Amino acid sequence: MIEAFVEGLVLVLQWKAFAFMLLGIGLGFWVGLLPGLGGATTLALMLPFIYTMQPVEAFAFLLGMHAVVATTGDITSVLFGVPGEATSAATILDGYAMTKKGEAGRALGAALASSLVGALVGAFALALAIPVVRPLVLTFGSPELFMLAIVGLAFIASLSAQGGRGMLRGFLAGGLGLFVATVGQDPQAGIARFTLDTLYLWQGLDLVPVLVGIFAIPEIVDLAVRGSSIAGDRPQGRLGRGALEGVKDTFRHFGLTIRCSLIGTFIGIMPGLGGSVAQWIAYGHATQSAKNAQELEGFGAGDVRGVLGPGAANNSKEGGSLIPTVAFGVPGSTSMAILLGGFFLMGLVPGPDMLTTHLVVTFSMVWTIVIANVITVGVCFLFLNRLAALSAVRGQLLIPVILVLVFIGSYTANNHYGDLIVTLVFGAIGYLMVGAGWPRAPFVLGLVLGKIAENYLYISVARYGAAWLARPVVLVLIGVALVVIVYPLVQARRARTRKGAHA
Amino acid sequence: MRSALAFAAVCALAVLAPRTVEAQPAPYEGKTVTIVVGYKPGGGYDATARLLARHLPKHIPGSPTIIVQNMPGANSIIGANHVYAVAKPDGLTLGTFNRNLPIAQLLSVRGVKFDMTKFAWIGSASSEATILAIRSDLPYKTFADLLKAKEPVVVGTTGPGANTHDFPLLIKEFLGANLKIVSGYSSSSDIMLAIERKEVDARAGSYSSMARFIDRKLVHPVIRARASEPGIEQLPVDEALAPNPRAKTIMALRSAPEIIGRPYVMPPGTPDQLVRTMREAFAKVVNDKELIAEATKAKMSLEYINGDEALKVMKEVLAQPKDIVDEFAKYIKFGE
Repeated sequence: MIEAFVEGLVLVLQWKAFAFMLLGIGLGFWVGLLPGLGGATTLALMLPFIYTMQPVEAFAFLLGMHAVVATTGDITSVLFGVPGEATSAATILDGYAMTKKGEAGRALGAALASSLVGALVGAFALALAIPVVRPLVLTFGSPELFMLAIVGLAFIASLSAQGGRGMLRGFLAGGLGLFVATVGQDPQAGIARFTLDTLYLWQGLDLVPVLVGIFAIPEIVDLAVRGSSIAGDRPQGRLGRGALEGVKDTFRHFGLTIRCSLIGTFIGIMPGLGGSVAQWIAYGHATQSAKNAQELEGFGAGDVRGVLGPGAANNSKEGGSLIPTVAFGVPGSTSMAILLGGFFLMGLVPGPDMLTTHLVVTFSMVWTIVIANVITVGVCFLFLNRLAALSAVRGQLLIPVILVLVFIGSYTANNHYGDLIVTLVFGAIGYLMVGAGWPRAPFVLGLVLGKIAENYLYISVARYGAAWLARPVVLVLIGVALVVIVYPLVQARRARTRKGAHA
Repeated sequence: MRSALAFAAVCALAVLAPRTVEAQPAPYEGKTVTIVVGYKPGGGYDATARLLARHLPKHIPGSPTIIVQNMPGANSIIGANHVYAVAKPDGLTLGTFNRNLPIAQLLSVRGVKFDMTKFAWIGSASSEATILAIRSDLPYKTFADLLKAKEPVVVGTTGPGANTHDFPLLIKEFLGANLKIVSGYSSSSDIMLAIERKEVDARAGSYSSMARFIDRKLVHPVIRARASEPGIEQLPVDEALAPNPRAKTIMALRSAPEIIGRPYVMPPGTPDQLVRTMREAFAKVVNDKELIAEATKAKMSLEYINGDEALKVMKEVLAQPKDIVDEFAKYIKFGE
């Protein structure tokens, strides 16, 4: 096992594999930065190029590209408030708020450092999980996956403002997300729901145009109205040293970064939960670390912990989602489904063999994820202060560029004008929500978990009747969901009593 | 002004001159052909189109550049509508889409603007054999065993309109197998995982997607639909076991499009000569050694079914009397 671990590293460091990996990293870098153009699509387009490569070279190329997409996606989210990837939207909430406060450097530093930690944790989880992966994945049947979705939805309680009114708004926004998730043909009876008689809505709303609309458009409007730079007239003095400060933040809140990395890894391992869920649960968890009411209100207004959580989780999930792909030949995400095609091209049949005869190849993948992220984060740090300086550029100069990126990014979802309409509609909804003080995070959580919750609930009931409720893991998860819902109330009460003691 | 006129004259001569010398210019020389795929990148339809795009140019006189354009949405109705009504019939557009689109037309799905029989058919790049496979640790070895099952056998499916769903549904309805159909899995690989954890007992789908799980002895096939592939010829065929002609027609109607597994068309009105050129290229490309090598690596197998055959299947599906269509609509929805 240890031999294979070292041999895997040696394979990746051969000049040819390494060169292909650098090429992949270069591609992934841009794909991540540009909104809309996603990791999965790019993987599909690059697949034909691997025909003539050796397996290790091919995976160094594909994984090198894939591993850095979430890392550079965070940069776009933090700098412009435009999600670079569907998987890096949660970084916007606090990352972009920090940029507006003139702390772009610090936010980027934190996002990158936490991405690196996340990637390392995910890769080591992949290495460590190899012996136990089969029983672990097989424990989670449809009822358990449904309950995981419910635990995810329970995090709405943490993502909402405090007090009865805040909770009500949070859960209503979550309900709206669930409702939007029902658009499209339903998979049980085949009935078209809320499609407004259009073909475009038949397969439901694509996540990218919705996210881009709801997050980017309100910020662009805001920027235009303010008529200043993104960072406004804030002093830019700390810009230069900011990046280092962000790295320090990662270690200041190291426990949180590790926990969010583990959350990401775990969600990555579960096939069928989808890549965009991890970041939101990690964000919800990050808000739980607030020690008092002021801190809790600081989330969404530029708390660095709100950057660290999703930053770590959206990278660690990649290592996690490789696990079911390698061990069962069952992909954990769209990107992995395409990667699976790469396995076949290489003459490898994913399954138990990958953990025995082809163990070296599996470890070479672990190393590729690690090395690719180290290189990317290193390179980003070189440019970081230049990137952060963009937040001091006048809005009138930035807005046209951002708008072009936003609409091209949305359009890549389906190459259909409907993508643009969806972006505008959700842009308007996002603007109204921000204006009226409704939280957007619960809406997105409802949207990404809605379909999962609906399908797995149906399957659980159809397959097991009411008996699914009595499964041990389900009972544990019900307990977890209750704790997640009650926790903010405990947090609030603790804050009150502490205040009382001071008075 | 005069110099501009002179320039234009020289240009005109330059363009016209070679034409008068060359006897027959290849119509595809220097052109770009677009294959419109009705799905996003990453699936089987897209992979086939990209494979063809790499190898077809060698077999078309003039070696045009071939590119793939993804036009996803509504289970590829959007792409098909585009090829039917928007794309020019100049031989530079090919379309490939969901094999079940004739079913969508038959069931008068809203939004369908095409008539399957009016496309300029190139044919199909492969046929897809559908099978039902059950978990190998269950006591049922053959379909006859399965019919005797006392406990319901749980079949996981992705939803109505997919072959994972419709094929077992008709087996349950018409052949009386004791099946319990549970739909809503997000992909066929999700169903496979549910089989691994014994949440479901069986799964239907294309033979090609299940071959490696059959090799691993996780599942074994017990019955297939009309289309066959090497290795499963001996399996019983659902239509052959139908209790009455009506049931047989319904089953045949469901499986007919599978023979045209990867349909390829050109816009209606494309000149015959260009259609013929493209058909010849398709016939040759499936025997291309480089293509076969790549396809084998990707675990795909291509087989050319010519355009006339494809058109015949379309007409057969669409010529059903109203009562059969109504009966069919009771069981089958268009989807996926």
